[in-house]
Amino acid sequence: MKMLLLFTGLVALFSSPTFAENAANNATNKLANGEQVATNINSRDEGEAVSRKLSIEMRDKRGKTRHRETMGYRKYYAGEKRTVIFYLSPKNIKDTAFLTYDYNNPELEDTQWLYLPALRKVRRISASDRGDYFLGTDMTYEDIKLETRVSTADFNYQTLGTCNADGKPGLQIEGTPKTKRIARELGYSKTLSCVDNTLWMVRQSQFWDIKGNLLKTVTISNIEKVQGIWTQHNIDVENHKTGHSTKLIFSAVDYQSPVPDDIFTTNAIKRGL
Amino acid sequence: MPHLTLSKVVIPYTQVLSAKYRPILAAINAVLVAGLCCLFTSQGYAIDVQSSLLSSAEWSASSHNLKQQNFQLTLEPEFILRFDNRIKLTVLSRLRSISLDALSPEKVTDNAYSPYSEPLFIGNSSEFELREFYLEIPTDNYYFTLGKQQVVWGKADGLKVLDIVNPQSYREFILEDFDDSRIPQWMANIETSVGEWDTQFLWIPDQSYHVLAGNGGLYTPTSPLLVPTPSAIPGLSVDVQPFDRPRRTLKDSDIGLRLARFWRGWDLSLNYLYQYDNFALLYQRRSITDTGLHIDIEPQYRRTHVLGGSFSNAFDNWVLRGELAYFSDRHFLAEGFSDSDGITKGAEASYVLGLDWAGLENTLISGQLFQSVALNRESATLRDKTDSTVSLLVNHTLLNETMELRLIWLANTNIGDGLLRLRASYEWQDNLKTWISSDTYYGSEEGIFGQFDDNDRLTLGVELGFE
Repeated sequence: MKMLLLFTGLVALFSSPTFAENAANNATNKLANGEQVATNINSRDEGEAVSRKLSIEMRDKRGKTRHRETMGYRKYYAGEKRTVIFYLSPKNIKDTAFLTYDYNNPELEDTQWLYLPALRKVRRISASDRGDYFLGTDMTYEDIKLETRVSTADFNYQTLGTCNADGKPGLQIEGTPKTKRIARELGYSKTLSCVDNTLWMVRQSQFWDIKGNLLKTVTISNIEKVQGIWTQHNIDVENHKTGHSTKLIFSAVDYQSPVPDDIFTTNAIKRGL
Repeated sequence: MPHLTLSKVVIPYTQVLSAKYRPILAAINAVLVAGLCCLFTSQGYAIDVQSSLLSSAEWSASSHNLKQQNFQLTLEPEFILRFDNRIKLTVLSRLRSISLDALSPEKVTDNAYSPYSEPLFIGNSSEFELREFYLEIPTDNYYFTLGKQQVVWGKADGLKVLDIVNPQSYREFILEDFDDSRIPQWMANIETSVGEWDTQFLWIPDQSYHVLAGNGGLYTPTSPLLVPTPSAIPGLSVDVQPFDRPRRTLKDSDIGLRLARFWRGWDLSLNYLYQYDNFALLYQRRSITDTGLHIDIEPQYRRTHVLGGSFSNAFDNWVLRGELAYFSDRHFLAEGFSDSDGITKGAEASYVLGLDWAGLENTLISGQLFQSVALNRESATLRDKTDSTVSLLVNHTLLNETMELRLIWLANTNIGDGLLRLRASYEWQDNLKTWISSDTYYGSEEGIFGQFDDNDRLTLGVELGFE
């Protein structure tokens, strides 16, 4: 009888929801929490400055492809990160350039300019356009600015468990916008990312639109060390709503050659490369 | 009321002068450029040569009866040579052929182009123009851009307050893109930084002025606000005398200075230009002859100081931008015969205030108010003291920016006339784009827009790029 009671008690103990949740929570608790993961991602060495070529291939659902060749530079300063992208080809978009100052102070809106060669003018653009798609790609202005980082100013992150992307194990973190306004601005109601917890790089992310529908999947691959820094060479974005996709291919990545400060100016984007 | 069209302004001596000296001037240009190349690139070698060709065809028809209005072919080859000493040479030319006599490249006001910048007219329907030819020479502290080029100032769209460094061709009124209608000039453009300010100095010895449609042109100005319209007096005769054109290369140069900086989120600029007003002033000399009143029109160019500035900043979904200019010496058409020479001297302040809203995805909505105020007029003028124009731009992109829909509405609130432009374009491939557009004028024929009320048009276009 005692044995029966003991067995029953053990079954009850191990099968109770409270025990299962506690076990799961204990397992998750052993993993870095979402905010720590986000901090680790954003603390990863990206070099003080970088220059690189970026090829962009855009494909619509009927298979029509368009190609863009660009040259990009990024540099960290004491209070901000500056990024500039110059379009080199094709002819109809050549000389278009995008410049952004991303301030460390979350209270400050980013400052962004776009040079449009047809107007021969540098146009100030609103940082609230950050949810708009960047020059026909499936990346938004915000995605372009963040590259492989995540925005702790806009999202709360929590770790859901473990995951696997590109054959590599990692941590799955969920990002939820801090306010409805941010969600509207960015066009995302939720993100789910698989983060390589040895390199602290996002390997795959999924984004849901503000209506809660799966919007797009971003896959980062071909991650290799360049001059001692882990560097992504391919980013593939698949838009599930439109069937459109974008492939970004980075090459000639250089963290060591000096990047002049005056390349991050409106004069520079007007002159082009 | 007979209109005096600028097309009557024919300057035979200048044509002779231009034709006579054109080969010499071309040779001087070539030597100058070759010299510059040798001077600055003697230690450098071309390490990269980029060439591209933009070709386009446009077919337009009257909106009223769909009768063909024009067919236009354009080829724009561009060459960029980069040297290993960071010097860059850009050469852009344009060959254009137009089927409609009323839009013929040669059918424009004479003497507007300087002999250094005049296109080569081929027959009555074609032109070849060296659009841009400049060397960019970066040094440690300065950035030199020397040669034939465009310099664009200001923040306004579609309306010009500070974008007045280069003159413009109005052969197609304002329908051409500014990039195509702006007349590049030979100049020295020197940029440097002074503290936090980016400083630009311009020296423009090339005296080209606004080009207007000539006699019988589709866009020949007829508004009394632009050209004198002497009352129908019995026996009145009118002659147009040759343009009195500045000829001294050095003394008649334009100079410009711009200071620009980014300050606490604001893009700011201060601008100064000492230039000849790009519109010719149509002075009248009146006399009594045996047959009655006679008027000689004596077109002249006058200098003005221009002092101005611009600003822009972003606030949430909004971008506020504006520009302001004060012209110290402006000349206006006098009202009636109150003024002895038909021209009244004064000053002018102009500004444009624009607000862009980007609250909808992939959409830009932009409104602008443009006002020009005539100041210190010596006598009554045909134009109002304050002239106001408003504009609205709505731009929306679809299908990952392969399709673009655009509406531009310009309206003058003094006369009540305006222009509505609609355009849809689609990018089939990286190098192939097509578009359809309509341009509709409305309002009184006395207005700047309304004068072309009969010229409403539909346009189909295709653009093909090669690299």
